Amino acid sequence: MLIIHYYCGTIQISQKEINLEKLQRIASTGIPEGGNLRATVWKLILGYLPPSRDLWEKELSENRKKYAKLKEELLLTPSELARMKEEAFQSNEHNNAHSDTAGPLIRHEISHEDHPLSLGKASVWHQYFEHTEIAEQIDRDLQRTHPEMKFFSGESSFGRKHRESMRNVLLLFSKLNPAIRYVQGMNEVLAPLYYVFSTDTDEKNASNAEADSFSCFVLLLSDSVDHFCQQLDNSSVGILSTLSRLSDLLKANDEELWRHLEFTSKVKPQYYGFRWITLLLTQEFNLQSILRIWDSLISSPFGIQEMLLRVCCAMLLCVKSRLLSGDFAANLKLLQHYPEINIEHLLQVAQDLTPDTSYYRMSS
Amino acid sequence: MVLVLAIGDLHIPHRAPDLPPKFKSMLVPGKIQHIICTGNLCIKEVHDYFKTLCPDLHITRGEYDEDSHYPENKTLTIGQFKLGICHGHQVIPWGDLDSLAMVQRQLDVDILVTGHTHQFKAYKHEGGVVINPGSATGAFSSFTYDVNPSFVLMDIDGLRVVVYVYELIDGEVKVDKIDFKKTATASAH
Repeated sequence: MLIIHYYCGTIQISQKEINLEKLQRIASTGIPEGGNLRATVWKLILGYLPPSRDLWEKELSENRKKYAKLKEELLLTPSELARMKEEAFQSNEHNNAHSDTAGPLIRHEISHEDHPLSLGKASVWHQYFEHTEIAEQIDRDLQRTHPEMKFFSGESSFGRKHRESMRNVLLLFSKLNPAIRYVQGMNEVLAPLYYVFSTDTDEKNASNAEADSFSCFVLLLSDSVDHFCQQLDNSSVGILSTLSRLSDLLKANDEELWRHLEFTSKVKPQYYGFRWITLLLTQEFNLQSILRIWDSLISSPFGIQEMLLRVCCAMLLCVKSRLLSGDFAANLKLLQHYPEINIEHLLQVAQDLTPDTSYYRMSS
Repeated sequence: MVLVLAIGDLHIPHRAPDLPPKFKSMLVPGKIQHIICTGNLCIKEVHDYFKTLCPDLHITRGEYDEDSHYPENKTLTIGQFKLGICHGHQVIPWGDLDSLAMVQRQLDVDILVTGHTHQFKAYKHEGGVVINPGSATGAFSSFTYDVNPSFVLMDIDGLRVVVYVYELIDGEVKVDKIDFKKTATASAH
């Protein structure tokens, strides 16, 4: 079965014009490991790669250049920026003459923003130091990302390079999204993307994993980035609204369980679902399971967020008997440390759920 | 990018009560990686204050320092540069560039940071660069009462150093910039 599946997937993406709908259907049943199928399929379905194969090289090259430029503009230290600017101006002659003469060194007056201790808001130095705090938090979180995997952890130059790449992506994201900046957990959401793209068997793709995962990270979060914004918690786009939709979905599919959770054991969705949803389940399963779940999330015709709600609901249904016999403490503990489970079964349950009618009301 | 604060000759409390407020507001922790202090703090409180700015503190003894255990001179390596510190009251004639150049050669350093004259100087000679950050409080010196408070912040970036000179003139902070490079083949000692 797996071989046929792999074959179908490879045929789909080797077409000149890829049929995204067909691809999504195949992908939702799980993308096989090996080669660069998953990396390519994710990039296609997220919209990073266009469906026309002929345009791939151009798109990739342009996007990767854009990323490099962004890094240059936003991630260089003010020191490096100043050095680059000066190297562009100075001629070699000027340099040599300058360095041979003995005597007092020439002083140049500079503005109030052009020095490291500047407190001016517009000063590149001031902004740089504001971001070092964020960078430090990112570094701390990256140290804790998948610590059991050599790919991410460990002091080898290998692990270090990966953490550095992920740091660049997250730091850049924080600078481009000042309303949200960096929120703990974004490192976990980035990890599967970066991992899949770095392990692409195509060398060129693997070496551009940083640029590609930045773009796909943005695409992946485009519908749900508001979940990270505390100010929006109570709004219609915030996490609490999404959590109440999870509640509605559960009620529509299993009123008994819903009643038990809401009223009997009083385990409200925000106690367990906050992390499930904002972090797209990356904290609830091991990496391999996450990859399989994300195959379904990304390729779902319902859209990532809808499918995510379904999977969350399915997670509840799959441990129904334990939940029904549990009280507040036991249920909370169970849901905050979700047990190992057959992922295919989980996804099937998610697929088979009754649609949440409130969603359709909202979407029209 | 390594930021190094070069500061000294504060003479607190004998000749000045504290750093100028406009300097103090700029000197915050978290930005500076090393502090080089030429000496004449003179009391422990100043030492402790510097420690809050940056844990990596290097001080040499000025003739009025309370703590007589500071070394007469010190050397350290930061990135591609070897730096030397010496207060300068020991180097006679005081402030004489040739005598300082000799000290620099003896210490075998690219940059010599020295004080005592309470006058900012940045000077290049065959053996390297001499930097005097002046007096951070504008304390009077053995030479003159007319002293503008000043200190120096160096940005060591590869083979290049950008020296930012902070001076308080007529109540306003004025910042100048000095650039110099070390050639890769230099200091054949």
